[in-house]
Amino acid sequence: MSISIPELLVNDGFITPGDQGKIHAFAARSGSSYAKIALNFGYISRKNYERSLINAGFVFAPVREEAFDIEVLKKIELKFANDHVALPLRIENNKVVTLMTDPSNQLFIDFVRFTYDLEPEIIVARDLDITWLSHKLLGEKYVKSSVYELLRRDPSSSASITFTTPQLVFIFALIAVTTIGLVLRFKDTSIIINVIISMFFLVAIIFKLFLALVGSRFELHQAVTKSDVRNIVDDELPQYTILLPVYKEDKLIKKLIWNLQSLDYPREQLDVKLLIEEDDDKTLQAVQNLDFPAVFEVIVVPFHMPKTKPKACNYGLHFSKGKYLTIYDAEDIPDTDQLKKVVALFAKLPERYICIQSALNYFNRNENFLTRMFTLEYSYWFDYMLPGLDTLDIPIPLGGTSNHFKMDALIELGAWDPFNVTEDADLGVRAYAKGYKVAIVNSTTYEEANNDPLNWIRQRSRWIKGYMQTYLVHMRNPATLIRKIGFKGFLGFNFFVGATSATFLVYPLLLAIFISYLVFDLSTIRTLFPDWVLFMAIFNLMVGNILMIYVNMMAVFKRRYFELILFAIANPVYWLMHSAAAYMGLYQLITNPFYWEKTNHGLSKVNNPTNVVK
Amino acid sequence: MRISKSQYLFILTVMLAVYYLVIGIYLNHLGYYNQESIFYIEKTKIIFEGLGNRIKVMGLTAPLLPFYSTFIFSLINTYLAPVMASAIGTAILFYIIARALTSRIENDFYLYLVLVMFFFHPGIIYAACSGKAIYLVLTFFFLFFFNLLKFYRSNTTFHVSIASICLVTLIFCDYRFIWLTLFFVPLVLAISIQSLNLGEKESIFRLFLSFNSPSLRRKLISKTFAIYVILFILPVASVICYKLLNLTHSGDLNYFIESPYATWSVLVDKLNFDITTVSSNYQLPELPILVSLRVIYFCPLILVAIYLFRESTYQALTILTPFAFIEFLHIKYDKLFLNYEYYLIFLILAILCLIFKALTVKNQFIFKVILTAVVLVQLYTGYIFLNKSLIRDEKRFITTLIGQKPNLDQGESMEMAGFINSLPKDSHVLMDDAIAYPIAAFTTNIRRLTLPYQDLFLSAIETPYRYDDYILIATATNPYTGYTQLNNKYLPAIRTVNSGVNYKRVYVTDNWILYKIITIQ
Repeated sequence: MSISIPELLVNDGFITPGDQGKIHAFAARSGSSYAKIALNFGYISRKNYERSLINAGFVFAPVREEAFDIEVLKKIELKFANDHVALPLRIENNKVVTLMTDPSNQLFIDFVRFTYDLEPEIIVARDLDITWLSHKLLGEKYVKSSVYELLRRDPSSSASITFTTPQLVFIFALIAVTTIGLVLRFKDTSIIINVIISMFFLVAIIFKLFLALVGSRFELHQAVTKSDVRNIVDDELPQYTILLPVYKEDKLIKKLIWNLQSLDYPREQLDVKLLIEEDDDKTLQAVQNLDFPAVFEVIVVPFHMPKTKPKACNYGLHFSKGKYLTIYDAEDIPDTDQLKKVVALFAKLPERYICIQSALNYFNRNENFLTRMFTLEYSYWFDYMLPGLDTLDIPIPLGGTSNHFKMDALIELGAWDPFNVTEDADLGVRAYAKGYKVAIVNSTTYEEANNDPLNWIRQRSRWIKGYMQTYLVHMRNPATLIRKIGFKGFLGFNFFVGATSATFLVYPLLLAIFISYLVFDLSTIRTLFPDWVLFMAIFNLMVGNILMIYVNMMAVFKRRYFELILFAIANPVYWLMHSAAAYMGLYQLITNPFYWEKTNHGLSKVNNPTNVVK
Repeated sequence: MRISKSQYLFILTVMLAVYYLVIGIYLNHLGYYNQESIFYIEKTKIIFEGLGNRIKVMGLTAPLLPFYSTFIFSLINTYLAPVMASAIGTAILFYIIARALTSRIENDFYLYLVLVMFFFHPGIIYAACSGKAIYLVLTFFFLFFFNLLKFYRSNTTFHVSIASICLVTLIFCDYRFIWLTLFFVPLVLAISIQSLNLGEKESIFRLFLSFNSPSLRRKLISKTFAIYVILFILPVASVICYKLLNLTHSGDLNYFIESPYATWSVLVDKLNFDITTVSSNYQLPELPILVSLRVIYFCPLILVAIYLFRESTYQALTILTPFAFIEFLHIKYDKLFLNYEYYLIFLILAILCLIFKALTVKNQFIFKVILTAVVLVQLYTGYIFLNKSLIRDEKRFITTLIGQKPNLDQGESMEMAGFINSLPKDSHVLMDDAIAYPIAAFTTNIRRLTLPYQDLFLSAIETPYRYDDYILIATATNPYTGYTQLNNKYLPAIRTVNSGVNYKRVYVTDNWILYKIITIQ
């Protein structure tokens, strides 16, 4: 059959002649095939595409189990196959068996003829199946690079080794000294431990209060104003890559498309990559079954350990074309003008600013106790703490999503560490260590707050484990770290990244002593600790708790979530959940450091309207 | 070489600090001490040199912050520490005010006006050179209102949080300021109404509008409540914590404000009132309705301040809040005189209002003339208020300063302490520092004293001959005799229990008798 698929689609009324011209022009400009553009930039749904071709007599074959010949595959580059949604598999009957979504793609047919000096035997297949197969068969070098690139270029920054030998020596020496101390002089050693722990707890919290106050001072500051956004000329906007790493998020695909379509950014300048793991058929099927056009390109990440989000993002990076790049989770609802604000802010900032972090908050904050607490926590974290760190020029641990990078700088940094489960926090510190800066933009991405306690603990255990990993990685050589990020940055890093996990580990101990002392009036505690130690420990615990509650209370002001203010009082209970997660994270750090504790999304029953910024 | 504005202010501040220090040390050499500074000196000596439960003294001596700030300077000189703290603290207050002023007003006239007040206002000199904690109260009072007014303008959490922290510190400088929160209850509602986005400008109509719309009403209530919480939760929580600490360490929630061992003001204020009102030349105490008028008489500048804020109801109400506060204090503590610091806060408040609004006056020349006249009047009223004060410490300060003659108010305590110092090195003296703290303060070696902070004090009271060689007894003429167990009723009582012990007078002053314990058996 020699019918042209583009003409077929127009004849069937699925694509207008106007769009046809746009697709051809875009295809010529980008080097991608017609089908690739039509299916990934919102022109036609996969179902309609398939319907049109079936009506014309084409048969879509299941191709995942097709035989392939390594020698044939060696002659094709994955990126080319990916751009044309086509893949030559083997030579059979003196013909090259070739999978194609668009059997009329003359450029690819010519490529096969010239490369193999044989005619192609075309098998029409769904684009997602071809994508799956081509990444699985040809993606090995990219996935290896995604895993090992940072380790090869900068092994000292990779979390592939959790504890270095000097760190182990230090930890075991500390344990040994403490044990010896407890054996020889139990009382004195207990007093010293108590004093150190309770002082550390208080200082860490006072530091957080200080940061929150510094951050709150500039709460009205608008890094990018509305007029800045209005002055942006659409035609001059650069290409923007959005990475969407997903795993078993089939329920969220429709919401995702809706949110992406609401973004105020020229469609053709968006390079949206949905990163799906090789074994995630559910999500792939959900994309295939969409009733309406997709606005993203699917990239299938071939199987390789560790199976983490940063590895998927690194893989997606190989296929990204944007000048800037950001990451969203599937359920994220960014402010519609967020990308434009980032472009405007990058234009304003000096060259050394290579990343811009947006605030994160939750759309389902009033769903239950947990979502309310989560909202309070995120509000103070992103509205006060990060601006506080930014103002004091202390390394900013980036949030999980909505961090916008300059692509070239991201690649120079070695991208994300696939062995680190909070790769974003690690990357923020690494950027500072290289002399780069991170800024905060006045734009919010609304996420789904975890509303299930067990799911919450799993998610939080990963975060805390990641903070521990990040701390261990960067503290391998404290002197070097001080040299790189300065003493202020070093202190900030210790109090912010190091102390966060440590305070959660310490908190239940302090609370237990406090409760034993006050409620049960344990005489052992009184005999063990002199009055002044108990006085100080109780003072630190009480003042620490009050200050942390206060910091959380401050958070409601900027967002005007006044109804949440009293929930801040429940923070001591919320921290106990943190502590449970911290111990789980610590256990995993030792037993299974690279394990990605998956967070289930889509549990919220709250409707999430798009946050249109006018 | 031109010096920058901040360097210029710094130089002025240093000059001011030196000026205050010179006056303070001079007065100290003349023998001027007040009860508050002596109390701090004694507690500091206990902490540095004492034997026993010193951590309790350190944690429960109140007010906490003035004591700690004195404590820092005691590393240099224990007896001059309160004066040094107040002199340097007042100079820092000037710096804070001057910084706030120069960052808003270019015109140097206002800076010089403030400088004149800090150099010559008798009240400020009293705050700076007496060694009392007034300087801390004024500083945090200023910062509290300063941040509150900034919050009105910026509507940022930062300023309301800082205001709240300043309120906490203010309360820990003088607990009575906790009552200030009471008068912010209606004020916060006014602030919330003001911050709602309504077309109506007049406060009363804004209130009407917001109460008649369910969504606005909900918003108003949520916001009002949130501001209450953010402003008052820290002070309230801090006070609760502090009271709990008092409860766990002394068995009394209000130990820090009610025990003469924890704070100096319990007995001094009470006695001061009693003596004045029953003395032969009876003096009329301050009448409640006259307190506000007295404030205006003391600080007419506050009228100018209120005038400057006339266009904004809730801001004017903010300025009026301290009036309600001192009226309330006068009713609540009806057996006490209002200390000078409660008048001085109005002076500071008036300066703060000038910082915010002085430039809004169109005719600056007339305004400056009026200000100059008012300030000059205030220098006079400041003097009058001290000179005619019913509180002995205040009156004696100005008379000593003007008269430049030795002040013998503490002569008796020094005399008795001198005798104790001359006793053999290993002899111990039982005394109750609830009232005898001036003697303890002037004693060179506090370790030879058995005082109530020590666990053995109760045993020593029961069987003094086992622990001590001497007992200091308050005579019947001692005005504080009713507030201590070691008074003229003590010896007859202890004699019936331990008949084998004799007590011999070894040194007598008007208010004190030192007995030597002689064991017969």
